[in-house]
Amino acid sequence: MNDPWTDQLSEYLDDELPADDRASLESHLRVCVACTTALADLKRVAVRARALTDRDPAADLWPGIAERIGSATPSSGVPAVRLMRRSGRRWSFSVPELAAACVALMVLSGGAAWLLHPGQVPLAVAPARAPQAGVVSIPASARAGSVGYDGAVADLERVLTEGRGRLDTATVRVIVRNLAAIDSAIAQAQRAVSADSANLYLNSHLAATRRQKLELLRQAASLVSAVS
Amino acid sequence: MTPSTSGVATLRQEQVGRSDSDAVDATLAASGDASAFERLYRAHIGRIHSLVRRMMSDQEADDVAQDVFVRAWQKLGSFRGESAFGTWLHRLAVNVILVRRETLGIRRQRHHEGDAMLEMVPARRAQVELNMDFETAIEQLPDGARQIFVLHDVEGYRHEEIADMLGVAAGTSKSQLHRARMALRRHLDR
Repeated sequence: MNDPWTDQLSEYLDDELPADDRASLESHLRVCVACTTALADLKRVAVRARALTDRDPAADLWPGIAERIGSATPSSGVPAVRLMRRSGRRWSFSVPELAAACVALMVLSGGAAWLLHPGQVPLAVAPARAPQAGVVSIPASARAGSVGYDGAVADLERVLTEGRGRLDTATVRVIVRNLAAIDSAIAQAQRAVSADSANLYLNSHLAATRRQKLELLRQAASLVSAVS
Repeated sequence: MTPSTSGVATLRQEQVGRSDSDAVDATLAASGDASAFERLYRAHIGRIHSLVRRMMSDQEADDVAQDVFVRAWQKLGSFRGESAFGTWLHRLAVNVILVRRETLGIRRQRHHEGDAMLEMVPARRAQVELNMDFETAIEQLPDGARQIFVLHDVEGYRHEEIADMLGVAAGTSKSQLHRARMALRRHLDR
């Protein structure tokens, strides 16, 4: 079906037809069953396209990607603590990058915690010393050997506690503030999961929040080791 | 060029809630944290793989999807958080797909294929699962119409964005979209 009216139907449907053409087409649609039917079909095609569901590949592509980017990372789940890339780019970051991660974490966890407990997020300031370099890398001695989330968190917290005096005050303040916010969010999530243990959303939220704490601790420990 | 918020982001609202955690993981991944990048991969592989499959083919989808994530890893330093990570990744994926298509010799003139090609799209078969049948019908579209249909109706890009990406006129994008829709209407479940 090709005629001047039909050819305008998609633009009409997408509200991209000039006003004059639109008015003319609407007049035509009032008397043309074929065009009215075609318009309804086109609308259904567009709706159908937006409703298409995505699906994962039949095979997991991650191993191949990990190999190509030079990283033999563990499978999904709670990530293992790994403070240095095995190969490829040097695992390094700058203080601004750490700050960016902290800001993002604050949006996620601090904001949620504040909404739940306004004014209760503790702040702490530790004695500090300015970092000696803007970009740092992590020595092999800082690798954590513990297995499992709690062990990894404990190891990293110990590294941070022992080394926080070597960080500058502003950095420590951001780290401590975000850790407090994340801990608060974790506590809230744990209470919610206790009340509704089968709730998939709450469980995944708790896991994500715990993961955020681990990641922040990893970065903080990395910074400590870098200025040691 | 950054995809507009009125395009992908508007039609893919389910991605929005993920953007905060993606931002954290993208920051970590940009620092070399492959575990964070793996989380990004797992969060987005379904959408990226489906995009590749629809714009190219099932046979090439795994290979090209891998290329997309390798390219994303290499380009993470250029992700500034000005758009959601998913939007950035999606646009990068489109670029990777278009380059691959060029490499395979699927060139721009395909956007000017005539109506005869569209008429070759087979009609809906009975007793076939509807969703898969519609996907199959999309695969049968001529390349030009197929790309534009996927980018506009499935992914939510605007004609101006599509024209810019594909190097065609916006009018060409509109006419190809219309032709694709007209061909696909025969595959609707009545």
